[in-house]
Amino acid sequence: MDKKFLVIGLDCAPAEIVFDRREELPVLRELIENGLYGNLRSSDPPITIPAWMVMCTGKDSGRLGLYGFRHRKDYSYRDIWIATSQSIKEKTVWDLIGEKGGRSCLVSVPPTYPPPSVHGNLISCFITPGNEKEYTYPPELKQEIEERFGPYIFDVVFRTDEKDMLLEQIYEMTAKRFDVMNYLIRQKAWDFFMFVEIGVDRIQHAFWKYMDSDHHLYIKGNKYEDAILDYYKDLDKKIGELLSNIDKNTAVLVVSDHGAKRMKGAFCINEWLIEQGDLVVKKKPQSPVSLDEVEIDWSRSRAWGWGGYYARLFLNIEGREIQGIIPPEDYERERDALAEKLLTVKGPEGEEWKTCILKPQEYFEETRGDYPDLMVYFDDLFWRSAGTLGHKTKYLLENDTGPDDAVHAQDGIYILYDPQIPRKKRKDAHILDIAPTILHAMGIPVPDDLGGKVITGES
Amino acid sequence: MEKEFTTISIPTSLYKKIEEKIKNSEITSVSSYITKVLRESLSKEEETQQPLSKEDEKKVKERLKALGYID
Repeated sequence: MDKKFLVIGLDCAPAEIVFDRREELPVLRELIENGLYGNLRSSDPPITIPAWMVMCTGKDSGRLGLYGFRHRKDYSYRDIWIATSQSIKEKTVWDLIGEKGGRSCLVSVPPTYPPPSVHGNLISCFITPGNEKEYTYPPELKQEIEERFGPYIFDVVFRTDEKDMLLEQIYEMTAKRFDVMNYLIRQKAWDFFMFVEIGVDRIQHAFWKYMDSDHHLYIKGNKYEDAILDYYKDLDKKIGELLSNIDKNTAVLVVSDHGAKRMKGAFCINEWLIEQGDLVVKKKPQSPVSLDEVEIDWSRSRAWGWGGYYARLFLNIEGREIQGIIPPEDYERERDALAEKLLTVKGPEGEEWKTCILKPQEYFEETRGDYPDLMVYFDDLFWRSAGTLGHKTKYLLENDTGPDDAVHAQDGIYILYDPQIPRKKRKDAHILDIAPTILHAMGIPVPDDLGGKVITGES
Repeated sequence: MEKEFTTISIPTSLYKKIEEKIKNSEITSVSSYITKVLRESLSKEEETQQPLSKEDEKKVKERLKALGYID
């Protein structure tokens, strides 16, 4: 390998903190002042899965056939499958590095459960069902880690009102992950080292309203105003410690899969569809329940939606869905009509929304897997989507399934630092550019079918 | 861009048989029935080891719900 490469993945880290608050983050500031840095346009959809794998394969969601964590199983109304490491059919950068004899060390990159075989070492990510599972490659690595550090902590449950306890848990998780990584980075042979710290995403979702004065639930002078930034300061120190293990022949990339911003609310997509006459239920629920628990009259329903950080809409097509009613020849017309209606949706006070709608088959060059009929970003993602029913309103000012005050933004960040070529330049890039950039830096031929280009200092 | 749907021909006698079969069921069209049967048949052939057991899948789904990724 021409060079070694370390990727510091900070899930959901936005420019508003990493760049704009860099005076308070000396390690990150040093990398920014001596590197290429900028906004990193995320995947569509801008969600942890598939964004990290879009980044690591250089192929977009359509090519990967991944549009989120869950997908419909065979056009069933209710059966779903969850994306796992086995859903990734394209080669990752570590696969390509491995083919050239390079060794990789990977820590919690989503999705890496079940742990795939790699040329090197791997600890799986937060979709691991539990510590009793085999979660490393090679399998013996699990015992090696647990003997020294105790059970690995994959994630925290952030949707809680017990904020002090949550903070403790996030710090504990991050501290342990960095202890494990400092061990691996010193003890294991590697050419490529990559980790994803999920604590950044969790603390932002849980504490954004305390920090962001534009958030509708913000209260000035609250106890947790500095919670997020304090975490970043601690993280900055930990990153510094980790970097003390690398040499001048190692390039460093700090990167996030998407950004974050305040959540304005949750739009109840299925309540809206019922109002439109597109979704017909046999009995309207009186209190909030998942769509799965509602008896739908599919023989009279034209569409339904899924909630999450973005909305997926599905049409009920004759011959595709088991009780489909829309003739297939009307698919495009019906889909266009639904999209047109969705674009007229306004906020609770009548505010105009900048809603973005994507038709997967038109948006992606290739659409594999179980794609939705429409991908919808309500009001530029400021409004997440709630698929649950039984609300007295279409607009929830707080999340429907527990406290969560942030949504995703389409721009994450990157900082590319090569100690042998220090320079400072701001240049925005795309998530698809990361894989070619890593491969190029390591002297590995970049495959022709990668979607992005190498990030360079040239304009 | 590829068309979303394509048409195939089947014998009318078979069509009528299916029409009769699905008369009092929830299935709304012959097309839907045929698609379902074909998918099931292909799934059986493509059966691969499930990455998550039923129990694990349930655990992961609950966790993803708690994280707000699914509802």
